[in-house]
Amino acid sequence: MKAIMKYLSVTVLMLACSTGWSFDFEEEFKKVIKDGVQKKIEEKSDAATSSALLGLVGISQEEEITIGRQIAGNLLGASALIKDQSLQIYVNNVGRWVASQSERPDLTWHFGVIESSDVNAFAAPGGYIFLTRGLYSLLQNEAELAGVLGHEIGHVIRKHHLKILQQSSLVDLGGKLISRRIGGNDKVQKLIGNGAEIVARSLDKNAEFEADRIAVVLAARAGYDAFALPEVLQQIGHFAKDDGSVALLFKTHPHPDDRLEKLGLVMNDRLEDVKGKTLVARFYRIKP
Amino acid sequence: MNSIRLGAVLFALLAMPAFAAETGSVIRTDGIKVEPFRDAKTIATLTVGDKVEIVKKKGGWLQIKSPKGNGWVHMLNVRKGGMRKDSGDIGGLLGMASGRAGTGKVVGTTGIRGLDEVELQSAKYNETELNLVESYAISRAEAQMFAIQGKLVARKFDYLPSPEVSPE
Repeated sequence: MKAIMKYLSVTVLMLACSTGWSFDFEEEFKKVIKDGVQKKIEEKSDAATSSALLGLVGISQEEEITIGRQIAGNLLGASALIKDQSLQIYVNNVGRWVASQSERPDLTWHFGVIESSDVNAFAAPGGYIFLTRGLYSLLQNEAELAGVLGHEIGHVIRKHHLKILQQSSLVDLGGKLISRRIGGNDKVQKLIGNGAEIVARSLDKNAEFEADRIAVVLAARAGYDAFALPEVLQQIGHFAKDDGSVALLFKTHPHPDDRLEKLGLVMNDRLEDVKGKTLVARFYRIKP
Repeated sequence: MNSIRLGAVLFALLAMPAFAAETGSVIRTDGIKVEPFRDAKTIATLTVGDKVEIVKKKGGWLQIKSPKGNGWVHMLNVRKGGMRKDSGDIGGLLGMASGRAGTGKVVGTTGIRGLDEVELQSAKYNETELNLVESYAISRAEAQMFAIQGKLVARKFDYLPSPEVSPE
């Protein structure tokens, strides 16, 4: 049978490991961040909430964004953006509206559709979210897009990837900093490993189920049909297991049937009578 | 050449009996309701393994036909799958359409390609693309306007509890 979907994906962040760092490194890291890559910082109004959230992993929002930005830049090095400005702005509108329903409404969110025939989506810390042309092409309406983006937004707001980085040897710096030039911020790159490999890492299954639950609620809050994400999952579940375009997705996510079953356990009773829009007519179709 | 192949693929897709009624199997016991909402009258009960014919989807509900009766059941209590084939015909067609052969290797020169772990590991930071995506950022106020244009109205809903009892 064909089945499974994965789609949402992985992201990783790497911020978390400040415990292992020497004091000197921390100082240096802060300096790097100040004059380094990061240009976008959350608006002040979100500062209190974000500080509280970030306190859990000991990473400031500024650091989170710096890390996410490096990961996003690497991912875009592997697959560039589709050169269709109307598409990208449309996706940013939908994503920003959904993200506005989350507890981090004032983060500077970024969304992009990248040139890959794979079916997948990725989230990086700080609000960088990407989906592939392959996944976008499967979507039938705006509510489905909202659901897919909502899953990735869920990873960002719950800092799933940051937590992984915290536990990972990727962040075990031991003090030595590399100096070779690899583009972007060398020291941050050292934290996240090679290129954008961090987005190819699997999260805990429960983190994926949690992101699904967040996605359907954010979609419902935004006025969309909450059952659009399940529709996408069903479709991905119909892919053959050996189809290369879903290989990475299936490897890093629970089977779509499992995700649908988990959603059914909590959605049926609570969202069954909730009406929402699908906005088929407004959905932006990619030119082939 | 490529367009000929694409045409053949599209023709094959269209020619398939894919538009025949979709079927599914029941994965959780559920009542068949006469209307798609919680308090509607239940006319029969479907049990795990029952086959249904899917007529259409509406929100979280599927309109179905079955030997036990016709009506509406929860979408998530039905697994679509009557058309599954182990040979993976559909997957193969999709694979071709997306530029892949059965090996998972990327073929063709359309500029569209896969994204596997090796490619991600060796990815090089691209500041230009990053600046480009950041240039598309939408403000919260702009997104609000976009929502209004689509007649989307924000509502309050609590997050859903985890169905797992997971001791942390």
